[in-house]
Amino acid sequence: MATYRLSHVTKQYRKGSRTVTAVRDLSVEITDGEWLAVQGRTGHGKSTLLHLLGGLDRPSSGTVELDGRDFGQIRDTELGRLRAGTIGFIFQTFNLVPTLPAADNVEAALIPLGVAGTERARRVAEALESVGLADRARHRPAELSGGQQQRVAIARALVKQPSVLLADEPTGNLDEETREEIVTLLEKLWRERGLTLVLVTHDSSVARRAQRVGVMSNGRLSIRQDTRRRT
Amino acid sequence: MFFFRYLRHELRARMRQAVVIALGLALGVGLVVTVIAASDGVSKAQSGVLKGLYGVGTDVTVTKPPPPFNPASGTRIQVGQNGGQVCNDGKCSSSAQTIDNLTSAEYGPIGYSSVASVARLHDVTAAAGGLTLTDNQITIPASLLSGGGAGGLPTPKSFTVTGVDFGHPDLGPLSNATLASGRELRSSDANADVAVVDADYAASNNLKTGSTITIAKTKFTVIGTVTQSAAASPPDVYIPLARAQALATSNGKTLKNDVNTLYVTAASAADVPAVQREVSHLLPSATVNTPSSLASQVTGSVSNTAHLADDLGRWLSVLVLIAAFAIAALLTIAAVSRRVREFGTLKALGWRSGRIMSQVLGESVAVGVLGAALGTALGFAGAAIIDAIAPKLSGTLTTSTGQHFESFGPSGSGSSSPTVAHTVSVPMSAVVSGGAITLAVVLAIVGGLLAGTAGSWQIARLRPADALARVA
Repeated sequence: MATYRLSHVTKQYRKGSRTVTAVRDLSVEITDGEWLAVQGRTGHGKSTLLHLLGGLDRPSSGTVELDGRDFGQIRDTELGRLRAGTIGFIFQTFNLVPTLPAADNVEAALIPLGVAGTERARRVAEALESVGLADRARHRPAELSGGQQQRVAIARALVKQPSVLLADEPTGNLDEETREEIVTLLEKLWRERGLTLVLVTHDSSVARRAQRVGVMSNGRLSIRQDTRRRT
Repeated sequence: MFFFRYLRHELRARMRQAVVIALGLALGVGLVVTVIAASDGVSKAQSGVLKGLYGVGTDVTVTKPPPPFNPASGTRIQVGQNGGQVCNDGKCSSSAQTIDNLTSAEYGPIGYSSVASVARLHDVTAAAGGLTLTDNQITIPASLLSGGGAGGLPTPKSFTVTGVDFGHPDLGPLSNATLASGRELRSSDANADVAVVDADYAASNNLKTGSTITIAKTKFTVIGTVTQSAAASPPDVYIPLARAQALATSNGKTLKNDVNTLYVTAASAADVPAVQREVSHLLPSATVNTPSSLASQVTGSVSNTAHLADDLGRWLSVLVLIAAFAIAALLTIAAVSRRVREFGTLKALGWRSGRIMSQVLGESVAVGVLGAALGTALGFAGAAIIDAIAPKLSGTLTTSTGQHFESFGPSGSGSSSPTVAHTVSVPMSAVVSGGAITLAVVLAIVGGLLAGTAGSWQIARLRPADALARVA
C-alpha cells in the first residue's frame, strides 16, 4: 500500500538574496500502484516535487502524506527509515558509488535495513538477475555502459522491495535504444511488483506509457492525461 | 563485513590521495619521533656524565651545602714584599713546607647515622654513605716566604678521593668500575691504608699496583686499578670510608662519623619524586639531587644539545605536526566535497549521517595507521641519520677544591679558589623508544581522526536534497 496525498504544498528556498518558489500550492493524490509521469521544463519544480515525495526535503507549507503519515510531522531519523524501507530512487546520473562493484552498490541499499549478510547476498544476486546483470556483479560502474549502470541503479532501488519508486529522468543520459530497454524494464517491474511509480521525464514518448501525465509549470502541476489502467 | 569492504575499495581507489595524507601525517610524526629519540639520546648522554660521578645504581644523591667559609680554617698563604707566611687551619708558619689536606669543600657533613635512617624510608630500596673529597697538595719554598720569590705561587696539585662504604658495594661511584689490575677494596680493608686508583689517573701519575700514593700526608698502598665507562668522569682515588673519615676535614673540623654524600636507590624510577620528598622531610637542610636536577649542573655541548632538542626540536615538531594535521584535515574536507553526490545518494537510500560519518572516520583512521607506520619508519631513519652524523658531546661538571689562596706582592695582590672540572666526552646516540613509537601511532591516529572529524562535520550538515541538487 502506498498512496500519496499532497495538500497545498509550497516549497520555497533561498537563492542568494532571492526567494525562489519551486512548488506552488500543489495538491494531488497518487494512488497505490499508480504510474504518474511528470513533465515540464527545466527549473519548473519537477525534481523538487520528487524530493518532497521522497522525504529528501520538507515543504515550506502544506502537507505531504504517504499512507497517512505526514512527512512534516516525523523526525529526520524516522524519515530516513521510511526511505530505507519503502521508497526506491533512480537518478538521471545513476548515482552509483564509483569505487564499489555493482553488487556492493546494490547491497548498500540493504545496509540501513539491518538485513543479515547471507540474506543480503541472496537478495543482491536476485536483484541483479532481475535486471539482467548477474554476470556483471563484480564490475565497477566505470566498467559498465550507461544502460548497465542504470540497470544497477534500478536493482539497487528494488532490492529492498519498496512500494514506491521515484525516478528522476532515468533515461536522460541514455541513447534511444537503451532508453527503450530501461523504460520497458521499469514498466515490467512496475507491473509485476505493483509499485507506485512517479517518473520525471522530458521525453513525451516515455511519459505517454504512464497512467497519468502531469506537467509542472512555474511550480504548479496540471494533469494532462489520465488513463488509470494497467497496460 | 560491508564496512570494511567499502573501506578497502575506497582506499584502493583513492590510493594516491590516501598516500599523500599519510605522508603528511608521517612527516609530522616522524619528526616528533626523531626529536624524542634525539632528546632521549641527549638525556642518556647526560646520565652517562652523571653515572660516572654517582654510580649506576643511584637514583638520588643527598648532600648538604658546605658551611660558610671560615678564614681561620683551610690553607691561607700570605706573601708580601717583606716575606710571607702560611696559615693552615689557623696555625701559621714562615718556614718552607708541604701542605697536604684532604677536604670536603664541596659538601657539608652529614651524620653517618642518617644513612640508616634514609635506608628505612618507605620508597627507598637501599642507601649508602660516602665521602667525596679533594686532596690538595702544594709545596711552598722558603724563598717565597722570605720575600725573594718570583713568579708567584706554585701550582697546587689536586686530585679527587672518594671514601667507599663497604656496606653497599652496588651503590656509589665504585659500583660502575671494572677492575683493570690488582684487586678491589674489601670489607677487611676497612681500616687499612690501601687505595684503588682510576686507571687513567694511575697511568698519568706512574702509579701501579704496589705503588704508594700520599693522601693527607699518609701513604696509601695502591692495591688495584679500575676503569670506568667512556662516558664516566670517575674519582681519581678510592679509599675505605673509615680512613677517609679519619683523615678528611671540613672547614677545619674532622669528618669522623660523618659522610658528605648519600647514594640512594628508589624502588622504581616512578618513585624517585616520592623518595625526594621523603628525604627532604627527614633531612630538611639537605640538598636532594635527582638525575634531572643534576643534569642542569652539567655544561658543555651535551647541555647545549639538550636545550636545542628540548626547545627548538619540540617547537619545530609541534609546528610540523599542526601543519600535518591541518593539511590532512583540508585534504579530507576536499575529498568529502568531491563525494557529496555519493553521500547524498546514501542518505537518499536511508543511511543515517552517523553511519556515513563512521565510514569516513574509518577511512581517516586507516590513513592515520598508514601515517603511523610511515612516520615510525621516518623516525628510525631520522635517528639513524643523527647517529651517523652527530659529533661526540662533552659535558663538564665543575666542583670546588676548597682551597683559598691569597698573595700580596710587588705586582699587586690576588686571590684564587681552585676548582676541579670533570669533562666527559660522550657519544650522541638517538634511541627510538617504545614510548616514542606508541606516541607516533597515537598522534597519527589522532591526526586521522581530526581530519575525519572535519570531513564528517560536513556530512552531518549535508541535506540529501541539497547534495543531489548540487550535481543535478
